[in-house]
Amino acid sequence: MRAGYPVAAPSLLFLTLLAGHATAQEARDWLERMSRAVEDLNYRGTFVHVLDGTAETLQIVHRNADGQSGERILSLAGAGREIVRQGDRVQGIFPDRRIVSFEIRSDVSALVSALPSTTADLEPHYEIKLGDDARVAERPVQVLEIKPRDEFRYGYMLWLDQETAMPLQSQLIDEQGQVVEQILFTEIEVPADIPASAIAPTIDTEGFTTLRATESAPLAAEIPWRAADVPGGFKLSAATQSPMAGSDTPVEHLVYSDGLATVSVFIEDPATKAEVGEGFFAVGSTNAYSLTLRGRKVTAMGEVPRQTVRTIASSLVAE
Amino acid sequence: MTEQINDQISAFIDNELSAEESSLLVRRFERDTESRSRAMRYTLIGASLRGELLEPHPSVLRQRVSAALSGTTLNTPKAREGWTERLARPLLGVGIAATVAVVAIGALRSLNEAAIAPSVAPSLATTPLQARDGLSYVVPQETDNQSQIGAPIRLTNYLMHHGEFASGLTRTSVNSNVVGAELERVVTDSSVVKPAVEQVGLE
Repeated sequence: MRAGYPVAAPSLLFLTLLAGHATAQEARDWLERMSRAVEDLNYRGTFVHVLDGTAETLQIVHRNADGQSGERILSLAGAGREIVRQGDRVQGIFPDRRIVSFEIRSDVSALVSALPSTTADLEPHYEIKLGDDARVAERPVQVLEIKPRDEFRYGYMLWLDQETAMPLQSQLIDEQGQVVEQILFTEIEVPADIPASAIAPTIDTEGFTTLRATESAPLAAEIPWRAADVPGGFKLSAATQSPMAGSDTPVEHLVYSDGLATVSVFIEDPATKAEVGEGFFAVGSTNAYSLTLRGRKVTAMGEVPRQTVRTIASSLVAE
Repeated sequence: MTEQINDQISAFIDNELSAEESSLLVRRFERDTESRSRAMRYTLIGASLRGELLEPHPSVLRQRVSAALSGTTLNTPKAREGWTERLARPLLGVGIAATVAVVAIGALRSLNEAAIAPSVAPSLATTPLQARDGLSYVVPQETDNQSQIGAPIRLTNYLMHHGEFASGLTRTSVNSNVVGAELERVVTDSSVVKPAVEQVGLE
């Protein structure tokens, strides 16, 4: 037995390392499955959005037909707002403000570049590991834990449906380990088909003020701005000039992503009536920081800690 | 749905119904999807407001249903207050600002009156996550109500654009913020936010 020990120990170590590697790969596979599921599947359901000690019930319908996706999210209480995305058109309906806002997505291809080329690229910035099996909504789920390796991004806890990889429950966790936001499905259906009518707006907007983007505005080929100081792992994934509802001039828009978290930077002429003040804002779980810099109004926002949006916004430079 | 059923559901979740009443209500759940959904929603809301959804395996409602079906009662230390009484209980001894409690009550009421999702026959079963016993229904986080202002539409427009570029993991969050965030909060540097370096203790 003594003779076998020196051989057995490295073998055991090798097997342990191999098992650890396999588990890490399995965790990344689950993350990739989830990313595909939320884009590719047809689903509709009701979920509870928990934020700041309050909960709101929302209804979601997601449709994917012939590679064209659309989505409708409706608040079932409170302000009763609705957001509808059909192709490159996005419509926000705000009964509490009696406003309907029409936006046009300017560069669909940029969406693809915002996704991680491989989940292995996330490893330097997130620890991704499988948790225990559990049940949510009477469905067996795989728990996935995503921990940031620094304080510039949030973590996630995901409860993924074993069959579809849909996130039946998700938590956004801040740098202190506190849950910033939770989404929990109470009902969900994943049918093979969903009719286009299911993602049509449901709120009567008669009498509402309509805000439309000025489609005729010429768009610049290149955006002459970049953030000089971005936390590790964040890369420029899109740079567009977007028409924006209520604005005569398009807004320059930079998108930085680390593969999971996304930070948008909006750059405008301060002479426009942008209505955005200066300093920190929080819109639900989205943090934003706005300032006037180099003669432009700069606003960075994302589901990241405040310091991240401020770091990025404050470092804007002309290229 | 009548007020009486709402009260029964609320009492059921609070474990304040008799075994016979509970059994009858559970049988109603079997045929009445609306009351079942409402029970799930009530439980989720209560649990979420207590921060109990942090736990992946809460099971109070399931226990209530099981107990009602078997004719047994749950072993709870004492009958808890109804949630309306708890909501009305002043400050709960944890320093909750009155304004926040009002916001929480308002949210609950509006959620209670929310339309049930249209006849979506769930192919995935819908028993919700539950809460553990023994805690109050309302433990909202303290916020600075003075810092909350009406929302500029431009910020919402930004958010809608931002959502289009968010990853699949976070897009639902962003869109939920667009439609669900009642207030957009301005936080002044002096009240909350310290410089980033100080805040995180970086060199």
